Amino acid sequence: MRHQIALALLTAGTAALVLAGLAVLRLPPPFLRLHALSLASTLGAPLVVLALAVQTGPGRGAVKLLVIGSLLAVGGTVTTMAVGRTTVRRERPGLLRGNQR
Amino acid sequence: MNAWLLAAAALLVGTIGPAIAVALHGPSHRRLVGADLAGTGMPVVFLLLAQGYSRTSYQDLALILAVLAPAGTLVFTRFLAGERG
Repeated sequence: MRHQIALALLTAGTAALVLAGLAVLRLPPPFLRLHALSLASTLGAPLVVLALAVQTGPGRGAVKLLVIGSLLAVGGTVTTMAVGRTTVRRERPGLLRGNQR
Repeated sequence: MNAWLLAAAALLVGTIGPAIAVALHGPSHRRLVGADLAGTGMPVVFLLLAQGYSRTSYQDLALILAVLAPAGTLVFTRFLAGERG
């Protein structure tokens, strides 16, 4: 039973990540492409890591996997925001005013 | 050829491939999107390969990459658009 749940989560996560890959190709630059980044790091990666954790079963290994998954989610979110800020400052130089420089 | 290796192959073709394709052309701040997506996708591929070949000790590779890839991307953003004013 646990294997089926893991496979379902794996399929969903892989689909999300492949969708992110296609989105980064198809979405017009520069701003709409950022959606692919957040999709991959906050939906795809955690789902796949959850599938691996379910497959590994309760224990130390699953905790390590969940730590990696949370690192990916948090790191991905931070980098998506940083890349978005960089894109705004290079594409629309005068847009950000005041303390958002 | 179990499900984990299949998923890793699908990710390599479906996520890392487009990320590299985006990172190959265009102005530098648009290439960064591809580099960042690859930085998110590669740890997942490493985890899947570690599980697929049932060598769970290789998960440390994904752990290290999950820590360093965002740092690398942040360094890129610092140089690309970090100057004040």
